[in-house]
Amino acid sequence: MAKDINEDFLRLTGFEEDEISQYLPEWRKACEKLGLTEEDIKFATKEQLPAHFAVELDGIRKLLGCFVKETIDLTKASEYKERGVKVVYGILPATLHFYYALKLTAPDKVFVSFPDIFLTMVMNGFFHKLAPYLEEAEKAGIPYGCRHCALNKTRYATHRLGIIPSPDISWIWGFVCDEGPKTDEFIRIYHDPEWKTYITRMPHDQPLGTVEDEVIDRVEYLANQMRDGFEAAQKEIGIKVAEEKIKEVIAIWQRYAAKLSELALLMTADPQPLGAVSGRLFWEGLFTPLNTGIEQMEKALDITIKEVKQRVANKEGILPEGAPKLLIYSIHPTVPWVAKIFEENGVGIPLSEFFILTKKQLKPSTFEDPYMAAAESWLRTSGMVNPGYQAEQICEKIETHKFDGMVFGLMDFDRWLGSSHRLLARIVEEKTKLPVFYIEGDNWDDRDYSPEALRTRIESICEIMKMRKA
Amino acid sequence: MDILEELAKIVRTRPEKLKEQQEKGIKIVGYIGRFVPEELIYASGAIPYLLCRGGQPEPPDAVIPYMLRFMSPYARSQIGYHLLGIDPVVPMLDLVVVQCSDCHESRLADLFEYFELPTLRLGIPPDWKKSLSQDYYYKGLTRLREKLENLTGNKISDEKLKESIDSINKIRDLLSKINLLRKKPPPIIGGDDFIRLNHYSFYCEPEELVRKLTDLYEQLQKSESLFSQEAPRLLLAGHVIGVGDYVVPKLIEDSGAVVAVEFLDEGVRHCAWNVKTDGDLMTNLSETYYLERTPPSIFQPAWEERAEFIQKLIGDFNIDGVVWYGLSFEEIYSLESSIISKVMDEMNIPFLKLESSYEYSREAVGPLTTRVESFIESVKQRRI
Repeated sequence: MAKDINEDFLRLTGFEEDEISQYLPEWRKACEKLGLTEEDIKFATKEQLPAHFAVELDGIRKLLGCFVKETIDLTKASEYKERGVKVVYGILPATLHFYYALKLTAPDKVFVSFPDIFLTMVMNGFFHKLAPYLEEAEKAGIPYGCRHCALNKTRYATHRLGIIPSPDISWIWGFVCDEGPKTDEFIRIYHDPEWKTYITRMPHDQPLGTVEDEVIDRVEYLANQMRDGFEAAQKEIGIKVAEEKIKEVIAIWQRYAAKLSELALLMTADPQPLGAVSGRLFWEGLFTPLNTGIEQMEKALDITIKEVKQRVANKEGILPEGAPKLLIYSIHPTVPWVAKIFEENGVGIPLSEFFILTKKQLKPSTFEDPYMAAAESWLRTSGMVNPGYQAEQICEKIETHKFDGMVFGLMDFDRWLGSSHRLLARIVEEKTKLPVFYIEGDNWDDRDYSPEALRTRIESICEIMKMRKA
Repeated sequence: MDILEELAKIVRTRPEKLKEQQEKGIKIVGYIGRFVPEELIYASGAIPYLLCRGGQPEPPDAVIPYMLRFMSPYARSQIGYHLLGIDPVVPMLDLVVVQCSDCHESRLADLFEYFELPTLRLGIPPDWKKSLSQDYYYKGLTRLREKLENLTGNKISDEKLKESIDSINKIRDLLSKINLLRKKPPPIIGGDDFIRLNHYSFYCEPEELVRKLTDLYEQLQKSESLFSQEAPRLLLAGHVIGVGDYVVPKLIEDSGAVVAVEFLDEGVRHCAWNVKTDGDLMTNLSETYYLERTPPSIFQPAWEERAEFIQKLIGDFNIDGVVWYGLSFEEIYSLESSIISKVMDEMNIPFLKLESSYEYSREAVGPLTTRVESFIESVKQRRI
């Protein structure tokens, strides 16, 4: 058996023996570009991944492997660009269909990525080494003290550091926060005039409680914004996508989403069969486009579902039967220790609210037109709408999955998604009469909110929940 | 400057006057933001009241149980005084129109609604170059017009609207003329007074205000400046100086410099742009408010145009240095400040970035004073 830590790393992340020799040189090259040392690889292999991800499951190892393959591919984006491949970026959250439709239409001519979320996920989640990127951004115009989003800092810093090239088009959705799109304007003016951006935005101007997907004017406006943005992106890179391609992508993603729903149901089994972070990683496939495609992740998901089903059948769990379970707004694999502290203290947070669907979301769209359908779907999503409607959806999810309470927070960096949590916590507590908690923290950047800083808060929440359940 | 004192007195007694008007059946409409045209509110027969307070730490803190604490202290202040029970006007408002151009304002609107204050949101798409967005704003103004008509029971006729546009144009013209007097060294009126004057202008009856501004303009033309010829001429830039947030402009002028011009998105009248009174008046309002004025920082694209505008102001007003007045956790202005800092560096113009969370205790003002004084001293040295 080889002693090379990189080989061990690839093996741990589900690479087959014959793949290892193929990918090893590329992986080493990627590490050099990303600034990863052998110590970092050793840390991931010996500590971080075994501690936080269910690497005993074949499906989870394969899932981690998808991230490694995509990371390798992302570090080759500059080479692709030099060869004439068009580089298209986006940011979270956005409807992936359009980005994937570009990829499906011209697989060898387009490179698609949301590079910041992807690199944040891998660099912090696997190696706990995002800080050098953040510091790079902070010393070059995005100040530390303002609590700017780590994703935006990462996008900027990784470009400054030569890890990612400037895009042929960065089609940025500002349907949620303002800072995402404005960061692109910042990069272009402050650092690189070649950083081309097209923005697609919509004001947050619906009264509390409005069922936004039923306001036809709003659906139409959003659909028109999506159409306008997608047309601009196509024009910029000279690739025309047929509407059929969008429909094809939607079909693929509906299939993937259905499988995720199956996993979500399994995750809420009693006892909880799989750690929150391992399961959550699959949801990235619904929110972050992979230039290497979704197929490998779907295969990993199939294997995991099979393995978790077996655990459920065997009554095998990571927590004792009857343990309290909380719905958490969003748990991120970038800070996997958050879920671990909950789980070590006997409380499950199996699902992230942001990622599970309501009954209405599972219904087919009212519209045939793919843009209207995408807009309607967007406005059915809890995080994208006013807090009144969002709270209604959260309450439904709590009821459907029989949660014992809810945790908000860990989104301090986001002036939209994170800014309503204290209000939401009040509304949801009033409606459900269940305990609702708020944790001040940051799901991407744990320099300020370290495990040491949050442990006491999480332990107290767990104590309260166990006492209530006893 | 007796006129400024007279205006200040009018503003101080404004809440009682509003109460009297309301008892006579006149509606009082609060509004937040530069995209809400006062002209429409006046034309409906209602009285507008700009919510634009700032400068105290307790009101933004009062909002923390309901909102992320890393939000603009200015936005939080607009409801914070009410939550503390010390806002005399917000509880009496018949309607609050909140522009929603960014996350801070939209979350503020959430809280107004949560606390069951009668609220109307005016959506402002930041991607302002698109016809889709321009139509969106126009439709928003149309909805506002309908809402005001329903609220007051008065039809907003073209005649009424033209009358109110004329009236606000006159105010802008007079403020613009007073502002232009500041080009001459030393400025006849400093930034501290000019910002206050802008603030007062939102809380006076237009006719009375026009009279006072006319008198002030005439008086200023005959007066001598209180500033020294050697006082460095500074440009004060940023999001907003809220009503009551006068520590920084006053400190600058107490430290031997003068604020010769401002570049602020909110809390001032953008008096270089008047609304046309011929043709379709709603279109005119929409074009002037949304398209013609210098875009606010949140608009995209905006920062290159804004940097060019600042460069122009530096030339026109013979500016020696720029003070950026940032408010804590305003992420967009934070990014912009880095761009402006870079542009100023390229122009060899001294740049000072200050940041405030409205904490002006003695302990906080000490270091702030040192920074401002050192900056002014360094600007003076460059002039020698």
